Amino acid sequence: MDLQDKKTSELSCDLHDNSDKNERKLALSHKILMSVEKPGRYVGGEVNAVMKDPSKVEVRFAFCFPDVYEIGMSHLGIKILYGAFNQVPYFWCERVFAPWVDMERQMVEHNIPLYALESGDPVGEFDFIGFTLQYELSYTNVLRMLELAGIPLRAADRKDLHNIVVGGGPCACNPEPLADFFDIFFLGDGEEVDLEVMELYRQCKKEEKGKEEFLRMAAQIEGVYVPALYDVAYNPDGTVRSYTPREGAPAVVKKRVVLDMDSAYYPEAFPVPMIEVVHSRIAEEVLRGCIRGCRFCQAGFLYRPFREKSIDVIDAQCRALCASTGYDEISLSSLSTSDYSRLNELIDRLHQWTEKDKVSLSLPSLRVDGFSPELMERIHSVRKSGLTFAPEAGSQRMRDVINKNVTEEELLHTVDVAFTEGWTRIKLYFMIGLPTETKEDVLAILELGKKVVDAFYGNKEKPKGKAVEVALSAAAFVPKPFTPFQWFGQDTMEVLREKQRELTGNVRSRRISVSYHGAKTSFLEAVFARGDRRLCAVMEKAVEMGLHFDGWDDQFDFDKWMEAFEACGIDPAFYANRTRGLDEVFPWDHLDYGVTKEFLKAEYERAYKGLTTPNCREKCANCGALCYKGGLCVEKREDMV
Amino acid sequence: MKNVRIWFKKVGAARYISHLDLTHCMARALKLSGLPVWYTQGFNPRIYMTFAMPLSLGTSGLRECMDIRFTEDGAPLEGVAEKINAHLPKDVVVWGVTEPANKLDAIAFARYGIRLETEGSALLKDKIQGLFARGPVTVMKHGKKGDKEFDITPYFSGMGMEELGAGCLALTVRLPCSVSGGVNPGLLLEALKSYEGLEPCGEITREMLLLEDFSEIS
Repeated sequence: MDLQDKKTSELSCDLHDNSDKNERKLALSHKILMSVEKPGRYVGGEVNAVMKDPSKVEVRFAFCFPDVYEIGMSHLGIKILYGAFNQVPYFWCERVFAPWVDMERQMVEHNIPLYALESGDPVGEFDFIGFTLQYELSYTNVLRMLELAGIPLRAADRKDLHNIVVGGGPCACNPEPLADFFDIFFLGDGEEVDLEVMELYRQCKKEEKGKEEFLRMAAQIEGVYVPALYDVAYNPDGTVRSYTPREGAPAVVKKRVVLDMDSAYYPEAFPVPMIEVVHSRIAEEVLRGCIRGCRFCQAGFLYRPFREKSIDVIDAQCRALCASTGYDEISLSSLSTSDYSRLNELIDRLHQWTEKDKVSLSLPSLRVDGFSPELMERIHSVRKSGLTFAPEAGSQRMRDVINKNVTEEELLHTVDVAFTEGWTRIKLYFMIGLPTETKEDVLAILELGKKVVDAFYGNKEKPKGKAVEVALSAAAFVPKPFTPFQWFGQDTMEVLREKQRELTGNVRSRRISVSYHGAKTSFLEAVFARGDRRLCAVMEKAVEMGLHFDGWDDQFDFDKWMEAFEACGIDPAFYANRTRGLDEVFPWDHLDYGVTKEFLKAEYERAYKGLTTPNCREKCANCGALCYKGGLCVEKREDMV
Repeated sequence: MKNVRIWFKKVGAARYISHLDLTHCMARALKLSGLPVWYTQGFNPRIYMTFAMPLSLGTSGLRECMDIRFTEDGAPLEGVAEKINAHLPKDVVVWGVTEPANKLDAIAFARYGIRLETEGSALLKDKIQGLFARGPVTVMKHGKKGDKEFDITPYFSGMGMEELGAGCLALTVRLPCSVSGGVNPGLLLEALKSYEGLEPCGEITREMLLLEDFSEIS
């Protein structure tokens, strides 16, 4: 039979048509791609990836995520900003992810520079190289990526108005351990400020201005922190004495806030990865901020004020994203989605079309007290694989200290509902090493686990023929800037290990399993979370020693890290374990996230007295976020009039 | 209900995604196409798709096919390809839509093109000819029941060879390829490595899926 006789539609496939005229060139050879794990990470070519003609754009932005593709592609922030930047015809934003160690080796061996996924062009050719700073243990990857791109690490060594290295995200609230490497940090919501800085760059380029002038002008934009414009002085005891701005930079840099979530930019499409990533689904941000004020939680303070999107807007955005991605799951995302004021109404509205379109809804962040049978009925499509809650601490005393505002009764009621609804696997997240914690508080984690098991056996409507499994997971607490615990000295690794032993050595039920996560990584995280500029030298040393992917257990090398600290003559315990005086100047005191230091201090003191603070909906705690005059802060005021 | 055969190619960047990832790409594109595709009727309904033969990671496919079903008997096939292509990654392209003539499990062979390239002008062609002239060429074949020694000579000795330039060779070979198993064209690369110490860049393309009589499936 002649191949050409086959009745096909008008399209035909030429056997030798292996090189389309408009085929996108891959940055890496077939041989290299075949020598690494998951080559799909490195090839781009996804649906909705934005391609532009480089000759027709004026500013090119390499959006770098300092971890592997599967993690970066699951991150919401990059999707929002990628869309926002690419909406502007003369900007082109492309994605860059950290090559995993096998590919990194290949790139070094073959002298292949880090490249952007869309065009395949080397990152060194870009105007902006932007990093999202989500996690302290990704900092070495940031420097490693600059190195792979062939860009000088230190900002001072990059003289021209080109390769401007910028960073944003939660860790930008204390970016000092990275201050020497970055030109600009963006504080707060990036949707507007990033674009303003890109626009300024475009103008400066046209007017042939230099990098220094550009940075001076950028520092005048609200939400822009140019670290080079601040001189730091230290006290003899090693603490910070002062930050002094130069060249007209503001003494205090205010974070930017997008107040109206309904009119804020939200993408109608985002690149759909061809390979499986961590979250293969649509993320719809339903609200920003959190009303809770848990004292350990940095995000809860950084993202104030609490702002919701309207149901109409969420509905329209979900429809658009379903139509552009083909995903069959929508995750209603936020720091605490059960705090959305009209959640049941929202879900009912979405169900008007999602069920017909075979799209399921999921709620990634349910509070113990936000789980109702009514809600479960609406989210019946949630797979019954397991339920996760985060009581955070075992004893009520401890939960009061951290202001979790969840009672044991509520937790037991919730798991009882879950058992009735057919769940048998419950995972509970805790922290150990919290301020004022005693041995009794640690053991209370096990007691709580036992009570959950008992609740299962006491439930008459529990699933038949199945055993209950309760997994208790304990992470080591890391004190973070802009939280009431920012003064607290982290438990030493020895103390944390002792607490871990208490947990694992006292399990009395076969239905309970206990796991904990590394004291060493938490220690390092604590060092960099509250570190200052002197840590830049350690970062540089660590990268020189080949450290990277510190957040991955199989790559983390604690001993090498200690060598790096020693080589630089820096004691990491000074940053991690030292309890600060209430009058100490912090390396982030010149950055303003709305929440005042006085408020945090008051909360710190209330914590030690075991006093809780009501959530923002119940009563305004005067945290300072009212200064933005938006969100729940203002709604509350109107109610009170 | 109407059975529909979708013909596509998987090239370029899409070569590097697994078969499972390809099924997800197709499912999303079919969902967005608005075509009257039939869903399985189980507890978790999903679009019914049967792929002829999975492609190994890294292998291009030019005339691959998969079957779906339309809920309407009279649904036209015109315009179907365009509707799916609008939502597929650029390197997965539907180029034909037909009503199936053969069953997918009638596939018995596949024709592969192997493009070998080495740096410098190593005499690739001579080396390959020499390799099969010497007698059995055994490599480890990775199968479900573990690894076993396997002589690839009968499968590769008669392949077509064309020199495309210094150090660049295009091979054409027909190999068994069916639901009950097959011979992986990559075994040739393993043999070149273990027998000749050669590790050329080898790009493999499955050019066609064939029936028992070597005619293309339709």
